[in-house]
This record gives sequence, structure tokens and C-alpha cells, in this order.
Amino acid sequence: MRVTESVILLIYLIFMTLIGIYFYKRARQSSDDYFTAGRSINTFVGAFAIFAAVASSSSLLGAVGGGVVNGLAYFFTYAFGVIAILPFMMFLVSGQLRRAGVKTVPDFFKQRFGSSVQIIAAIFVVIAMTFYMVPQITASGLIGTYVLGIDYTVAVIVLGLGFTIYAALGGMWAITYTDLFQGAIMLIGVVILALFVLGDFGSVSALLGEALAVDPTFGDINLPWMSYFGLFIAFLWFGIISPSVVMRNFASRGVKTARRTAMWGTVLYLTLFLGGFIVTLAGAQLGIIDTLDNTDMIFISVVEQYLPPILGGIMLAGLLAAIMSSADAMLLAISAGIAHDIYKGHINKQASERFVTGLGLVVMFIAAGVGIIFAINPPGIIAVMVGWVGGFLLSSFGFPLVLGLWWKRANKEGALAGMVGGALLFVILMVFTDLPTNAEPIIAAPVSLILMIVVSLMTKPPSKEIQDRVDYYHGIE
Amino acid sequence: MEKRSKLKDPGIFLTVLLALYSVFVFAWWPTDIYWAGVSLVGWLMFIGLFFWLLLGIIYVVWIERIDEEQKQ
Repeated sequence: MRVTESVILLIYLIFMTLIGIYFYKRARQSSDDYFTAGRSINTFVGAFAIFAAVASSSSLLGAVGGGVVNGLAYFFTYAFGVIAILPFMMFLVSGQLRRAGVKTVPDFFKQRFGSSVQIIAAIFVVIAMTFYMVPQITASGLIGTYVLGIDYTVAVIVLGLGFTIYAALGGMWAITYTDLFQGAIMLIGVVILALFVLGDFGSVSALLGEALAVDPTFGDINLPWMSYFGLFIAFLWFGIISPSVVMRNFASRGVKTARRTAMWGTVLYLTLFLGGFIVTLAGAQLGIIDTLDNTDMIFISVVEQYLPPILGGIMLAGLLAAIMSSADAMLLAISAGIAHDIYKGHINKQASERFVTGLGLVVMFIAAGVGIIFAINPPGIIAVMVGWVGGFLLSSFGFPLVLGLWWKRANKEGALAGMVGGALLFVILMVFTDLPTNAEPIIAAPVSLILMIVVSLMTKPPSKEIQDRVDYYHGIE
Repeated sequence: MEKRSKLKDPGIFLTVLLALYSVFVFAWWPTDIYWAGVSLVGWLMFIGLFFWLLLGIIYVVWIERIDEEQKQ
């Protein structure tokens, strides 16, 4: 066991739990507080929170590991996709969704298309977010095993419960403020690591030269075109299709704040990836990638090589922060889907606010339990698991959400056809065909779009009231 | 609030720009041109990171200006 690193991780976990306890009372006041932090988050806090929600285990471990294995262009493709997430979300949905004044993504579907679409959306959110948590918990188990020197299963359970406790206690309040801290620690950790690396090599060009000397193919395009394109498309849509990120817009103080939050979140994310660029070069220069069982762990090797134990411990806490800050947002989306959209929305409309937030709390523990059970025997490698869920959400949600905000003529029937048709086709392609890994949404998402447009045009237009609401989303009379 | 077309929304215009740059990179795909030992594809992606941020800043400034004009 690495004592210094373990102590720092323990302090970090205790601090996160204290934040959860601090916000417990405030979060339980109302479902608005529990699921959207009372819609009162400012730009500064919101930017760190949305950045932390988007930046997950794959952002740091996966991008650097993939870059060292497949070449620098692969890392840049990764960044090309993920840095576009927040601008793309901002252009198409941020301000409009905030103006809609809803609490959850299924809530928006109810407002725009009616209850039947809401229920299906809520079921999809709950399933998808539960599976999205699995790779996050898996990554936390890998880091926990490495740092704490404990069994993988124990690490998965301890760290899985670690983020569940503060998220369940403090809802969106605790999640947002822990994300502020977690976003800061991962950003500072990566920047410090990059500066230490550059301190050793003197310049970026010297470091790049060393990396190319160790691996002459490092600068080449080493994979088929489709692999780069698929990676880019999968990430680009993440801010629109993942409720864990979209919900940050609902927590913003207003429309202007929602947009500015996304813009500053992009600045933070870009800074993270510029640091990641240096770490990727350093990882390639080490020349040990072939000796690692799990190539994602090259990041840890760079930390060990260049940072003293105390700073290394902080950086490892930063890696856990990246994981937890994404997983907690996913937990909240699951909790809101069941407690707010399904229970309060359809089963017991008279349920008290206190009961709904209490149910949300219990649901988080159950969902985390399910995620932990899957993570103990994960069904695939991290990147593939992330790709499956992202592809499923893009194929089902992507166009119903965007067209719902932009196209007055989109109606309930069209949304149902697009959502269910896209989801079914995605599952069929995944189970019964031999398409390249994560290529399913390239077919299923356009089919969802076509279904939605065709069925909407073939059926009755929405009422004038609904059509006027689409104008309202855009601030038009 | 006043009448304005959604097609003239800055979000649509900037989404088109984002799509155009992406198409430019993925359609051209200059794998065999190198700079500093790295394929130009990689550097085009790298430049794209800053282009995305620039588009984001332009959007915020532009849409806030429209909001201000509407208020007045």
C-alpha cells in the first residue's frame, strides 16, 4: 500500500462526505432543491461542475492511454470531440432548455410531447445511466486497487459507496459543490503534472522529439478512418444526449448563466486537454506501454515517474475526482427519473416533496448497488461500455430532444417513433450484426431522425399552445 | 420579445461552422503530410480545439447582444 497516496485519498473521501452532510437539510427541502439545486448555481461554480460532469475517467485515463497506444492523432481526435461537447450543447439546447424551466430531461419531453414520451424517456434514462455508471465504478476500482493495494472487489464497493453517500445526502447541491472541488483538483493535478514533465524536458518540441524517437509511429495515423470519425461523433453529442450533463443547465440561475457556464466549462476542458497532451507525450516517451496489462494505466506510470508522493497522491485523488464527479451526476439522473418522472409524475401525483426527495435518496443507493454488482464483473472494456450507452442515448434521445426544441411541427407520434425506433434499431444492430465497435449509432441515429420527421409530418400537428412554446424556448413571441 | 426567425439564430449558424470544419478535416484527411513528425490530421484536430472555443465565445457574445437588443 502506498501510505501517502492512501492518506490523501482518505482525506479526500471524508471531505466529500462532509459536503454531502452539510447540504443534506437544504437538499431535502424540495425536489427543486434536490434535483436542480434550487436553480441558483452561478457561472463560476456551474462551469467547474459541468466541466467535472463531462470530464470522466475516459477523459484522463482513456484519452492518454489511447493516445500512447494509437498515436498522437488519436489523442487529438479524442480532444477534438470532447472539447466540442459544450459549444455544441450551447448552440442547440442550453439556453432553450433552461428557458423551458423543467427539472429533468423526461420532464422536458412531457412538457413538449406529453406523458407517454416522458415515461419511455424516463425508463431509457434509468437504464442508460445505470450502465453508464459501470465503467466509472470499474475505473475507480482499478485506481483503488493500485493505490490502496486492496482487492478489486473491495475497492469497487468502497469507492462506489464513497460517491453515493454524498450524492444521496445532498442531491444536486452536494453534487455541484463537490464537482467544484473535484473539477479544480483534477485540473490543477494535470497542470502540475504537465509542468513537472516540461521542467524535465525544457520544451514541448524536445518532449515530442523524444516520444517520436521511442515510438517512430507515434505521429502516424495508425487506425482506419472510421475509428477516428466514430470517436468524434460519439463524443460530440454527449452534452445533448446525456441527462447527467443536460441537468446542469436546469440548475443554472438563468438562461444567460447556462450559456456562460458552458463557455467557461469549455475553457476548463481545453486546459485539461492541453495538460493531457503533455502527459500523452510523456507516456509515449516512457516506452513501457507494451509492458502494461491495462494501457489506461500509462497515466499512473507518468504520475509515478514525474511527481513526488504527495503531489502524486493529489493527482490520483484528481483521477478519482474525475470518475466520481461524472458518476454522481449519473446517479442523480437515475434518481430523478424514478422519483420525479415515474413516481411523482405517474404513480402518486400527490406525493409530498419530502417523500419524493427521500425516495430519490433511496433510489441512489439501489442504483449504486446495481452499478457496483455489474462493475465487479464488468461486461466489457471501459471505452466499449461508454460507447454502447452513448450510442444508445444518441440513437434514442438525440433528435427528439433537438427537434423538440427547434421544430414546431414535431409531435408526440414523431417523438415516440424516433425514440423507440432509434433505440430498437440500435439494440438490433448491436446484438445481431458485426458492425465495427461503437458504429451502431451512425446508422440508428439518422434512422431515428427520419422516423421522427416522417411520422410527425404524417400525423396531426401539435396544438397552437405547444407550437408557441417552441417559440418561447427561443425567446420569440 | 419580438419576432425573429430561428433559422437566423447564432446557434444554427455556429453549428454549421462547426460541421463545416469537421467535414473539412474528415474529408481531406491528409495522413501523409507531416509537420514536426506528426501527421497533419493531428494538427488540424489540435487547431480545431481552439476553433471550438472561439465559436463558443462568439456565440455567447452574439446571443447576449441579441437579448439586449430585444430588451431595448
